[in-house]
Amino acid sequence: MRKQLLMAAMLLPLPIAALAAEGERIQVRGEIIDTWCYYSGVMGGPDAVTGTAHHTCALWCSAGGIPVGLLAEDGQVYMVLKIAGDDASAGGDTQLRLASHEITADGLLYHRDGLNYLVVEEVVTDHGITKLNHEDYGAVPPFAIPKPGK
Amino acid sequence: MRLRNLLLAVACSGLASGALAHGTETHAAPPALALSDQVTALPWKLGGAFELVDQTGAPRTQTDPDGRMQLVFFGYANCPGICSAALPMMADAAELLERRGITVSPVLITIDPVLDTVETMGPALAKISTDLVGLTGDREALSEAYDAFQIDFEKIMDDPEYGPIYAHSSHIFLLDQAGKVLTLLPPVLPPEQVADIVMKYAGS
Repeated sequence: MRKQLLMAAMLLPLPIAALAAEGERIQVRGEIIDTWCYYSGVMGGPDAVTGTAHHTCALWCSAGGIPVGLLAEDGQVYMVLKIAGDDASAGGDTQLRLASHEITADGLLYHRDGLNYLVVEEVVTDHGITKLNHEDYGAVPPFAIPKPGK
Repeated sequence: MRLRNLLLAVACSGLASGALAHGTETHAAPPALALSDQVTALPWKLGGAFELVDQTGAPRTQTDPDGRMQLVFFGYANCPGICSAALPMMADAAELLERRGITVSPVLITIDPVLDTVETMGPALAKISTDLVGLTGDREALSEAYDAFQIDFEKIMDDPEYGPIYAHSSHIFLLDQAGKVLTLLPPVLPPEQVADIVMKYAGS
């Protein structure tokens, strides 16, 4: 059982700027993405590594330990630290179920080092997989689809 | 759960072969955000004392013996999943930083002390980088480190090729010389961005 201690008062030592007291509550809508392929560019440009085209690979990467992110409508990426009902940042049952789904999330936003971190406290709405781009790109990457067994 | 086991097995194969981690063709990735001074404290206390041994058998605590900052990752030396991406990235970031005059120790703390012993960790890590420090210990000593950093992991299966396969936490922690956690880093960042972040904490 993860020992998640909500100890906002015990702040990490940070040398840079004054610390905000706690995360900022936000509601944001966007797609749950595979952050490895999105940031690295090794599997294609940003449009190809989202949506249905990248769904299978997104499942693989999450299961392999890649933290999921939320790609908001304005293009901002939020690194998801955990999602309600699942403490993991990758590979949990909730993360796998929501891979490539567009969701409306309610949670707490944290800023660090130019990155956005999001603790999703509630998935307000699961809009399902809404970006249907597999006809444009095929499966990205093509080897994401396992070959039939011999 | 069966779905996750299957996916993890396939993911491990992909990452281990380098297919996922090192594709031959790259595309324009989204530009890295400029480092901002906006900082929010995370809602968890992270870090603490531990007493482990490195791959040479020397004892090592959360304090770096050479007075360096530390990039700490929890995984295992021959992990075919996220570790195969995170550990080389940490080594690359450390090398970049050294060129900029900042020495950082990239450290792996094992989640499987049976697999990662003093004898086995060194050769396995050397395949990635000789700069990597591997830490292991008995289960009690390791549990203290896991508790301090709130590390979760779960053995998923035994792969006939790779052995035990775990699902595990994958963020990297930046520690100062004394072992205090300064920040956490997603393992998906490029080494250049990690180096830039570390430099800010180093005061450079």
